[in-house]
Amino acid sequence: MAQLTAAPLSALVDEPVHIRATGLTPSQLVCLRASLSDEKGNLFYSQAYYKASDTGEVDLEKDPSLGGDFVGVHPMGLFWSLKPETPLKRLMKRDVMNSPFQIQLKLCDPDVPITNRDSSTLTASLTLERWYVAPGVTRIEVKEGRLRGALFLPPGDNHFPGVIDLFGSGGGLIEFRAGLLASRGFATLALAYWGYDDLPRQLREVDIEYFEEAVNFLLRHPKVLGPGVGILSICKGAEIGLSMAINLKQISATVLINGPNFVISNPHVYRGEVSQPTPYSIELISSNALGFVAFHRVYEQTGDVDSQYFFPIEKAQGHFLFIVGEEDKNINSKCYAQQAIEQLRRNGKENWTLLSYPGAGHLIEPPYSPLCYASRIPYVHPNILWGGDVIPHAAAQEHSWKEIQKFLREHLISTRTSQL
Amino acid sequence: KMFQLTATPSSALADEPVAIRATGLPPSKVVTLQASLKDEKGNLFQSRAFYRANKAGEIDLEQDPALGGDYVGVHSMGLFWSMKPTVAFQRLLKRDVMNSPFCITLDLYDSVCFKDSATVPPRVSQMVQRWFSGPGVQRKQIREGRVRGALFLPPGEGPFPGIIDLFGNIGGLVEFRASLLASSGFAVLALAYFAYEDLPEKLLEVDLEYFEEAASFLLSHPKIQRPGIGVISVSKGAEIGLAMACYLKQVVATVCINGCNMVVEVPLRYRDLVVPPILPALEYSQVHMSGAVSLQRCFGELLNKSNHQSVLPVEKAEGKILFIVGENDECIHSRAFAERAMDQLRSHGRSTGRMLAYPGAGHLIEPPYAPLCFWSWQHKLACPVVWGGDPVAHASTQEHVWGEIQKFFRQHLVKTTNKL
Repeated sequence: MAQLTAAPLSALVDEPVHIRATGLTPSQLVCLRASLSDEKGNLFYSQAYYKASDTGEVDLEKDPSLGGDFVGVHPMGLFWSLKPETPLKRLMKRDVMNSPFQIQLKLCDPDVPITNRDSSTLTASLTLERWYVAPGVTRIEVKEGRLRGALFLPPGDNHFPGVIDLFGSGGGLIEFRAGLLASRGFATLALAYWGYDDLPRQLREVDIEYFEEAVNFLLRHPKVLGPGVGILSICKGAEIGLSMAINLKQISATVLINGPNFVISNPHVYRGEVSQPTPYSIELISSNALGFVAFHRVYEQTGDVDSQYFFPIEKAQGHFLFIVGEEDKNINSKCYAQQAIEQLRRNGKENWTLLSYPGAGHLIEPPYSPLCYASRIPYVHPNILWGGDVIPHAAAQEHSWKEIQKFLREHLISTRTSQL
Repeated sequence: KMFQLTATPSSALADEPVAIRATGLPPSKVVTLQASLKDEKGNLFQSRAFYRANKAGEIDLEQDPALGGDYVGVHSMGLFWSMKPTVAFQRLLKRDVMNSPFCITLDLYDSVCFKDSATVPPRVSQMVQRWFSGPGVQRKQIREGRVRGALFLPPGEGPFPGIIDLFGNIGGLVEFRASLLASSGFAVLALAYFAYEDLPEKLLEVDLEYFEEAASFLLSHPKIQRPGIGVISVSKGAEIGLAMACYLKQVVATVCINGCNMVVEVPLRYRDLVVPPILPALEYSQVHMSGAVSLQRCFGELLNKSNHQSVLPVEKAEGKILFIVGENDECIHSRAFAERAMDQLRSHGRSTGRMLAYPGAGHLIEPPYAPLCFWSWQHKLACPVVWGGDPVAHASTQEHVWGEIQKFFRQHLVKTTNKL
């Protein structure tokens, strides 16, 4: 009797799952399929073909996939290679507290040809739950002063290091990473700054005082460890995170994922001082063979080369972790991280770490998240190319998530003990 | 100043280049050139590129580089070969090759426009007609014995060198390459072999006697030279073309584009001979990040197996063979198959083969300026399939190959008048 096992069946999304099939005939060719329906009913699928061992077993921790959505030994491949049935849809959990993503795992006879239809003989199946919050994590709607967001607190009566979580792209409030980070012991504020509630419908300017309010809010909270907070930020969020780290003394640790080291699109304002956006050459965008548009060259003549545009990063007091996807096709991440680091070096500062991942794209997310290679965002040309090769991107997500937590713990917790 | 856009010639064969120039622009202005085409089913294909006018307000596509858009650099025909369907997976293919051209609208916008629906109207437009048959070319529907297809004859008395044109698993009757070749002086029979008129709906076997009938029909035609004919063939058609070269004495010059040197999927029959097929191992297929499927490794695995009975006996071919290989072919491992055939010829002391391998070119190598079809819906597999190809390399390959094909046929088919 063919059997399919997966352990654990219910877990956080950043936890690996051990998948095995047993009771097969020796060298039997099987197909493992994963499918998921997101909260809007969009379907995502992945599949891989395996050959059973002499004892009729397939163990994804040891055995290579022969083909399908990935090739080789990748125990979590079925998760990070999930692809939307409707092209360009991005997988993103909206309600992180009340429900998990449910993934159906199926063991079937190989379907020839490859289709997503469940026409093949179903041998065994099971359902996995993938949660974005651990049991006991609480979510508090934040609507204080101008602030709009959600604060995620780890379970327990302790004090936790505080982190502000900033996304870019399409605005709104994105909570999944904050929920996960809280599950790993950080009091995390998922902060919206446009396109949410009564915040501006479109981003006009980046008011650093708004983000300062958020920092003060977090530090005021009885469960938040001080005296400094951290930032976890990506893309536009990282541009803002860098600006915050420079202007606000309470920022002790800043994670910048694929962000620029200069102002993009909207001016930054802080206490009357305005930093103007960097001029760009929109004619330098390019479409690939699939019609997806890469934007990473538009600052070729300005932000890529001219230090007059760079943020004065040497003024920041906290520590930086730069995370770079070298195949980022949306912004020239590698160049910008190197420029920022060079500027720190020239000013005799060593408060930085760089993690540069060959093959990784723009949207570096928590482990096992499917690679989003291209998608649409509001107000911009559709079909934006984010870039990334599936396998190295998955490896970058796994590695960077651990490093991010280590970095935040190192620079947010130790300062407290040194003050005793 | 009046914006002007010229395209010369505005009406031409699809394999002829067009000189595009713009004048009367503001000096140094960056503008958008957009090409749009609606195919016979109303599907829209578009391309765009951004150019900077010189100080005299001029742009000459033969000298000036595109800064960005669907291609970058100096590519005078880039607007043609970089056109992409607005709906994914569609392939541009002219069906009626006699009575109407493809009409391409060239629009010039005086700013950088990259959104699908431009909010400003173009400053000036120009229409270009691309014909698939030249003046005087005649088309004759063929229903002789079992033979089904269309014969294209150049204008004049002849006799003309005769060629059979074979496409692949797309089935039906594909005429555009035959009509274009006829426009260059060859008598070409576009030959259908399944899914057309009363031919079998599905290809269940390759009956070489059918193709022999077609060759005999061609040679019996008063306007076609004797004693030998040529074959131009792509993909599955190229496997058949190679079989024709091996077994049919009347075939004296064969062009095989991205085909296998083995009988694949369905058996080959010729009189008493039945050659068993090799079956592609679909478990080695790979799902591209777009969701389309790459089959290259399924066939690649066939190379590792020693299946001599399925290998076509190229050493038996009496005529010349030209193998055209796209090295970025994602459908089959084209280069490996061609090299195996070349090795086989050499090991039998035969010098009848020649291989032209093109780095960056994909599976669907077509006449010059045809848009790269990187992926499209494949009916047999009922899923989108990746054909592969890097746009710029693929475009220059198509230009070079077309010239080589005609040179090859002229060299080996056209009778020299001083032969005794």
